Amino acid sequence: MGEFKVHRVRFFDYMPSAIRAMVFSTRTERLALARADGALEIFNFSDNYFQEKVLPGHDGRAVEALCWVGPRLFSAGLNGEITEYDLENLRPRYTVEAYGGPIWTISVNSQGTLLAVGCEDGTVKMFEVLKERIQFQRNLDRQKGRIISLSWHPSGTLIAAGMMDMIRIFDAETGRATHRLLVDRGAGASKSKEVVVWSIAFLSDHTIISSDSAGKVQIWDGLNGTLIRTHLITKWDVLALSVSQDESSLVAGTSEGTVVQFQFISSTVDRLDKDWVRTRTFKNHSHDVRALAHTETAVVSGGMDTQLVVRPLLDKVEKNTRESAMRKVSFPHRSLVCCAKKAGLLLFQFPDHLELWRLGESDGYGKLGGSLPVKRGPEKLIQLKRKGEDHICCSALSPCGGWLAYSTVTSFRLYRLQNGSISICKVSKLPKDLLPAHQLCFSTNSSKLFASSSNSSVVVVALNELECKYLGTLKAKYGCRQPVHQLSASDNGKWLATANTDCEVHVYNLDKLKLHCTVPVYGSCPTAMAIHPTTSNLVVVHADQQIFEYSLVKKEYTEWSRRLQKQGLHSMWLERDTPITHVTFNPKNPAHIIVHDMFMFCIIDKSLPLPEAKNVLYNQMALRSLPEPDRVLHSHGFKICKDFQHLLCVSLLEDHSLVVVERPLLDIVSQLPAPVRQKKFAT
Amino acid sequence: MTLQNNMAKNQRGEAAPSSRMTGRERQMGGFSLLLESSDDEGPEEVTFEDSKADARRSMKRALDTARREKELLKEKRRKRQELFQEQKKRKLLSAEVLEEIDSTKQEQSHVKAEEEAEPEEVEGRKRNWKQNAARNLKGNYTVTTVKQSTLASSQLKAAEDFLHSRMYGPGSRRTTSNEMLSLENKMGKNKSAAVQFVKKNWACQKKAKAEKLKKTWIHMQQIPSS
Repeated sequence: MGEFKVHRVRFFDYMPSAIRAMVFSTRTERLALARADGALEIFNFSDNYFQEKVLPGHDGRAVEALCWVGPRLFSAGLNGEITEYDLENLRPRYTVEAYGGPIWTISVNSQGTLLAVGCEDGTVKMFEVLKERIQFQRNLDRQKGRIISLSWHPSGTLIAAGMMDMIRIFDAETGRATHRLLVDRGAGASKSKEVVVWSIAFLSDHTIISSDSAGKVQIWDGLNGTLIRTHLITKWDVLALSVSQDESSLVAGTSEGTVVQFQFISSTVDRLDKDWVRTRTFKNHSHDVRALAHTETAVVSGGMDTQLVVRPLLDKVEKNTRESAMRKVSFPHRSLVCCAKKAGLLLFQFPDHLELWRLGESDGYGKLGGSLPVKRGPEKLIQLKRKGEDHICCSALSPCGGWLAYSTVTSFRLYRLQNGSISICKVSKLPKDLLPAHQLCFSTNSSKLFASSSNSSVVVVALNELECKYLGTLKAKYGCRQPVHQLSASDNGKWLATANTDCEVHVYNLDKLKLHCTVPVYGSCPTAMAIHPTTSNLVVVHADQQIFEYSLVKKEYTEWSRRLQKQGLHSMWLERDTPITHVTFNPKNPAHIIVHDMFMFCIIDKSLPLPEAKNVLYNQMALRSLPEPDRVLHSHGFKICKDFQHLLCVSLLEDHSLVVVERPLLDIVSQLPAPVRQKKFAT
Repeated sequence: MTLQNNMAKNQRGEAAPSSRMTGRERQMGGFSLLLESSDDEGPEEVTFEDSKADARRSMKRALDTARREKELLKEKRRKRQELFQEQKKRKLLSAEVLEEIDSTKQEQSHVKAEEEAEPEEVEGRKRNWKQNAARNLKGNYTVTTVKQSTLASSQLKAAEDFLHSRMYGPGSRRTTSNEMLSLENKMGKNKSAAVQFVKKNWACQKKAKAEKLKKTWIHMQQIPSS
């Protein structure tokens, strides 16, 4: 197979941001997630929970709540603004000031016509949802405390608002507050602190369910304004609630990291007296759970530990299948590391700055598995802080290490690096067609820069010594509106492949600057792709872990790809729950494809037989224990290495050494904010 | 104060004891009336004038003590006001020094010595001043306006503070990531030590302190033996 010298990189201090709010749209099967730094992420739940789109954050956006109105996404934040997002161009469409101080919550009625926001000054403001915008309609009766949570009654006539120490029920038509439900404060020391009703749900039978900072989930009768039942589920706060579509199940998220499920079932066999009964408790988080979504088959939770957890409910899915496995999304499903193969440089993308590092050097020769002495350590060459308040959307480094580009939603910057990438100077006169891009890519000889733009088009610019000239725009066929999230240029400079979130893969001929061909659409979104330097085969890996190889010259799938599809991929390969984020090739061996996900990297050898269903997929350790001649009999084409965890990027440099960028999850956990203090017996 | 006054009056031998004694005498006189009812002695005659004089004296004394107290308070207040004025002047003085373009090092050190003599309350100001001095030493500096914080941003900060205080403020019973991970180590299937001992680059300061303590202890042990 081959021996590689591995650069084990652990100096990328990647720190994800806490999850603040989430909302699921049953119609489109998409989950929208808001993080503490203002970034928004869209996950496609029908495509193996792939992170389809990422909208970069903004300083001071402080999103507190999200809301789907049909296919439109709205957010409200502590900056007092309601923002609608353009999900095709990955940017905010417009913002509307609510003039009520910080907004704590946003909720839409079941008809999709009115948007209600709860503000710091105690008003619930109603906005009409119009075709292209929202318009302020009126305020409901102003209250004396801040409105922390809101819930519409499914009929659209009543609104329940959770405030400090109480819950108010409003008549949505007249705007008057009809009932006031007083919430008990906690016992003991918390008696002096006001209790905050963090979350509230209004069911169609006029039952109100509230969760508060005293650790209670309370069931109220909304018609009479009386308390039916109190469940004390934790000593800390219950921060989030989510009710299922059919109102038979409810989940509550606490500061301890537990998610408690309540179900509306009867205690006896006959279905006469149904009641909300506490059924399951999930402990999937180490820190506070701040956002919850209850889909038809699963409970989705996220919080201060930055991981998104999808827990399928075993009474809704079949046990011991792929659907019933718990899924954790810890790393983004796109690459944040750019490796300059010729220069041995790494570019790390942070939300607010970029870091350029030079890899260290080592002379020695060691045996397998040993570590080599480092002659010259890695050094940070440049730290580039972004201009403005928008976070960095995408960045790229040219393979020779001479050019650096990054884009935010409002601006695009290109820099020239000289003197061995130590000095940096900005290229000022950029062509005006170079709008802010979603994805960037340099050509292998660093003469061209490709930037993906709106409507799945790609802008091509030529790079000379210190200037940049617009060459042309590559347009996809009419009707492609989704953003391009994958760009890959071939080594010979002839082809450019693009993939958008609508699962369309287009290949352009760069000599003629025209569309060359479109790969047949496959149902799952591409997560990584690359063009082979010598054979010009396009290798595409999808979110459902399928691999395809398409010949650009012949415009058809290659023979190996057909063989792979016929035999099918190994079940262990298909059951992996993190997507492949990077595809690269080995210059010394054209039959190799190197791919990696968060937990492993794999060298696929096309010349070896494909693993059959009965073979063991992870057989590297076993093969090593076998004697030489036996190895050939048992080996198959998928060589998987799990020595390095948790991977952010695996790349192959020109000098045939591997670069492995690791970010152990323990290092991330150690920098998270304080968890609650649990007193355990005998500790 | 009244007691002190009385004692002072006693030392001076004034009327106070006599009035007291008169009072006692009166009391005793009262008793004597009861006990020696057969005595032929008539009660002591106290003229109206005498009692009027007594009453006037006691009132005067009371007024005197009140006046003295007021004066003492006034004195205290005046002294405190003076002290504040002094401190204010000193602070202004340091600003003056800053405004000078060519301030020599000697002068600064002299003023610094003055600053150090100040009481604890102006510690914060002293630190500010020192920083300013450091900046001034470099020579050329520019003045820029601080970014205007709008109403929205101040409200945002207030809301975030509220959220932070509810979740992490007093009474939130939180612990550190180190403790949580150490607990997992202790309770897990393969029990191991607390994370700061397992990971090499954790708790560096504590480890350095422990090293130092160890060295001192060994040194101490070696001294008596040598």
